[in-house]
Amino acid sequence: MITAKTLSKAKRLWGDHGQSALEGAKVCLINATATGTEILKNLILPGVGSFTIIDGKRVSGEDVGNNFFLDQTSIGKSRAQVATELMQELNADVSGDFVDETADNLLDNSPEFFNKFTIVVATSLSEKILLRLASHLWDNEIPLIICRSYGFIGYVRLVVREHTVIESHPDNVHEDLRLDRPFPALVEFCDSFNLDTMNKKEHSHTPWLVIIYKYLEKWKQQHNGESPKNYKEKNQLKETIREGFRKNEDGVPEDEENFDEAIKNVNTALLATKVPTVVEAIFSDSSTNKLHFESKPFWILAQAVKEFVHNEGKGALPLRGSIPDMTADSERYIQLQNVYRQQAKLDVDAVSNYVQNLLESIGRPQDNITEKDIRAFCKNASFLCLLRSRSLEQEYDVSSAKIADIAMHLEDTDDDDLVFYVMLRAVDRFFTEYNRYPGYDMDTVESDIPKLKTCLSKWLQEYGINQNIKDEYVHELCRYGACELHSVAAYIGGAAAQEVIKVITSQFVPINNTYIYNGMKQTSLTVEL
Amino acid sequence: MTGVDWPHRWAHVSKILTRPGPFAHPDFEACPEMMDFLHDDCKLLIIGAGGLGCELLKDLALLGFRNMDVIDMDTIDLSNLNRQFLFRKKDIGKPKADVAAEYINSRIPGCKVIPHFTKIQDFDSSFYRQFHIVVCGLDSIIARRWINGMLVSLLKYNDDNTVDQSSIIPMVDGGTEGFKGNARVILPGVSACVECTLELYPPQVNFPMCTIAHTPRLPEHCIEYVKVLLWPQEKPFGEGVELDGDDPAHIKWVYDKASERASQYGISGVTYRLTQGVVKRIIPAVASTNAVIAAACATEVFKLATSCCQVLNNYVNFNDTEGIYTYTFEAEKKDNCAACSQIPQHLTFSEDDKLQDVVDHLKESAIYQLKSPGIITTIDGKNKTLFMSTVKCIEDATKSNLKKSLKELGLENGQEIYVADPTTPNSLLFRLQLASKMDD
Amino acid sequence: MIKLFSLKQQKKDGTDGGSKSGPAHKKASAAQLRITKDINELSLPKTCQVEFPDPDDLLSFKLIISPDEGFYKGGHFVFSFKVGQGYPHEPPKVKCETMVYHPNIDLEGNICLNILREDWKPVLTINSIVYGLQYLFLEPNPEDPLNKEAAEVLQNNRRLFEQNVAKAMRGGYIGSTYFERCLK
Repeated sequence: MITAKTLSKAKRLWGDHGQSALEGAKVCLINATATGTEILKNLILPGVGSFTIIDGKRVSGEDVGNNFFLDQTSIGKSRAQVATELMQELNADVSGDFVDETADNLLDNSPEFFNKFTIVVATSLSEKILLRLASHLWDNEIPLIICRSYGFIGYVRLVVREHTVIESHPDNVHEDLRLDRPFPALVEFCDSFNLDTMNKKEHSHTPWLVIIYKYLEKWKQQHNGESPKNYKEKNQLKETIREGFRKNEDGVPEDEENFDEAIKNVNTALLATKVPTVVEAIFSDSSTNKLHFESKPFWILAQAVKEFVHNEGKGALPLRGSIPDMTADSERYIQLQNVYRQQAKLDVDAVSNYVQNLLESIGRPQDNITEKDIRAFCKNASFLCLLRSRSLEQEYDVSSAKIADIAMHLEDTDDDDLVFYVMLRAVDRFFTEYNRYPGYDMDTVESDIPKLKTCLSKWLQEYGINQNIKDEYVHELCRYGACELHSVAAYIGGAAAQEVIKVITSQFVPINNTYIYNGMKQTSLTVEL
Repeated sequence: MTGVDWPHRWAHVSKILTRPGPFAHPDFEACPEMMDFLHDDCKLLIIGAGGLGCELLKDLALLGFRNMDVIDMDTIDLSNLNRQFLFRKKDIGKPKADVAAEYINSRIPGCKVIPHFTKIQDFDSSFYRQFHIVVCGLDSIIARRWINGMLVSLLKYNDDNTVDQSSIIPMVDGGTEGFKGNARVILPGVSACVECTLELYPPQVNFPMCTIAHTPRLPEHCIEYVKVLLWPQEKPFGEGVELDGDDPAHIKWVYDKASERASQYGISGVTYRLTQGVVKRIIPAVASTNAVIAAACATEVFKLATSCCQVLNNYVNFNDTEGIYTYTFEAEKKDNCAACSQIPQHLTFSEDDKLQDVVDHLKESAIYQLKSPGIITTIDGKNKTLFMSTVKCIEDATKSNLKKSLKELGLENGQEIYVADPTTPNSLLFRLQLASKMDD
Repeated sequence: MIKLFSLKQQKKDGTDGGSKSGPAHKKASAAQLRITKDINELSLPKTCQVEFPDPDDLLSFKLIISPDEGFYKGGHFVFSFKVGQGYPHEPPKVKCETMVYHPNIDLEGNICLNILREDWKPVLTINSIVYGLQYLFLEPNPEDPLNKEAAEVLQNNRRLFEQNVAKAMRGGYIGSTYFERCLK
């Protein structure tokens, strides 16, 4: 049967395996605030496996005012229950559940409750409880995402101990063509053509890859086997290619798009094939080097590819095996495509051998890592991504906080949205001190301004930050009075949901580690704290 | 407080509206009446009830807007359900605008969303003039350009050629493709409009005809071959039936033929999904990107309506494939924009004057000094070429108009005429002020 | 910065509710304005002329090319232009209505001209297309053909190609395809 799920358009972006990861995920939301339900909505629509809402509050009039998943009749009832019921309506394939209890109660009585989730989304928690929760999840390696909407300001913090990405889907990438170190099948293919003797049509439809190969070989013969190294030499190579255009009877060069393309591609095609530093770092990571029975497939694959690089690869990663579109006749283009595909397959086979050996050496069954996984890993080997975010404790502890970075951002308060991070920290300090948010009640707005200012000074002092923060920010934050504007909640709901999907599917690159949204100017900032 | 509200319903929004703030507009009037303005007086038009439109309606309704019209010409399809959250299975086949309006009105008490299941082009200026702000969640550039042109045409100018501010209807426009999106605020006549920044919209990707016909290399080439060459030739669904990207039978036919062609050439990768993507030229939409962009647009509408904060100046790009990245900048208004640089100029004639008199005036007047003006107008909703001398067959067909009086040509007082001339980078817009003989 | 609304003047003028047009107030579209400009500034080579079946509809017209040199000298070739509301963001749709024996035009009237598809840019005009089409008749290009048979003949035997073109223009069969006469 065709269901909305099978027709999901987003699936085209993260693939069937991404979709099945999503459908297997269990998401926990703490507190069904507007921000919380908006995040959940964007996970339920594309088909997350299940969700659980933890919330001990009763629905208030102001809750219904800014939350689409509460209604007037729900005032006074369990917020967890009402939100679960209304959210469930979004997608019959998703199962929803709730716990009518506060997060701190759960942490006190059954902290292991949280261990069953793929990821925990936290909104509207006090600093004290948040730190407890973060520490528990950190110990149990459960990713945590903290989300907040405060007036026009939004905040997302991702805490994940270790996250690896194979398919990062980078936007603009260099092709992996190996013209600087052609493999035997490529040499053989290129050598099978003679540009001088082919007819006009063949000449103008020879793929530019072959053209560069030919002229590069000629160049190397004339330069002791060396490739063009600098700008000047590359231009000289381009010049010799330009001379290669066929001429008509009148000596005028013909329009040969493939030659134009060759000239355009000289610079990038001559870039040396290298293992990117990020991937080098993964190779030298202790998780790669000390495989054990429990090692994640990512590390086993990384070790296998590393061994390939040192042996068959002669310093290069497995070939990606794809080529860009280029002017060519279908036949030779497809042949060339197959040359690359074949080589990539050979490389995958070699890596597979290493994988099998490694699995054997750590006592894991051979079918633990499939051929498909190995292919995907090899294809994406130069885009691998490893994220180890700092813990919330590291961020908050004065001895490990990124004080210098914060101070640097604050030098330029006019344009830097980091000031809002500091303001939110001051607001939390206010809450710790007075057990309410500054400006929450209309009649305390004015009197809370100096109090918040004091909290801010104390915070800056505690972290040893000397930069001054303008009073305007203190006034504006008091004006907000902890209000959650629905549109700001919806913005954070969209942005945070996508980060959750990235973590669940292990595709695309998540933030590291704090995102601050300034809805006043529609600007934002990502910073590692 | 109106009858539909319960205690503290608007507590969140009220804080922003009843308290002054250092970043608010200098003329911001912090007072409880601001909420009444949102509830009772402010009229919004939302164009599109799809992925962005559903989000917009929800966001705006929960910010306190109540009087909203929504236009959409589409009906609900199964594939919409995974991100257009106001629609359920039982709604498939119904107009998007109707279902979205009904859902919002029932979930958010006091909301009066009026749906219009129609094209934007079916309404005239008297309809568009009633709104304070227009919000667009569209996937069509043509529709964006049309509404942009409409809002520009509603501008009134003061004697010194400055825009009469009371005639400005701001346009807040959002767009998404996959994990990328943008939001912008257009103050017609004041800041960059859609036409000023046409180059910001990516051009259609078209493959060379000969590649499609004879040297296909990619699965896309095979699909385009079927779409461009085979469809009009084989007419698989009958004479004059155009390829419809939403008709599964059509897509299936294209998919089968494209697969056949691909296997002839040894090309792999033609899939049903890719076929649909190429035929419809769509990049799949994602719920989370729609949510972000609609939310940014809604925040801007809220700011525009209340002045509670400075407005986005004037364009923001969003992309969350690698981390989350935004880029905010000021798109520049073009001095020679085909739409918004056109300040209509007045031409005063008597209704008995001949079209020749107008042409002579445009050529001889020291202000214009036009060389070979081509003049068009619209009468009864139809374009009419009044005179054009540069193309022989049009000159032959229109030169008799020169001898006719403006009245005989059907031109009325206030009529807009457009004049193209090699001496000006754009067509000029004139408004005729016609005096009848008796008024003289 | 402008402040758009003040609480004192909040009612908008205009009708309440959704009145449908009123076609009298319809505006010329952006595409219409741009094509008016393009047409008014057409400067045609002497071998070309345009015809507007309806002079009030500038979005749909025909171009007749009558080459005065080259293989196609003496022929009359009619092209139909359909300019959509996406103009100039999207190129016009152009088809050749005359059956022509030409390597870059197929028997269905499809044309392989870069600026009609992959290289179209909004700064190009109708005039650019006219010149592009005229060039196709002066310099047929066998390298990237639409009509493969014609291209092969042009490549291998120019003389035969010339004869075939002449024959097709007079009206007659080339292989199994009948070409209608298109000489003056």
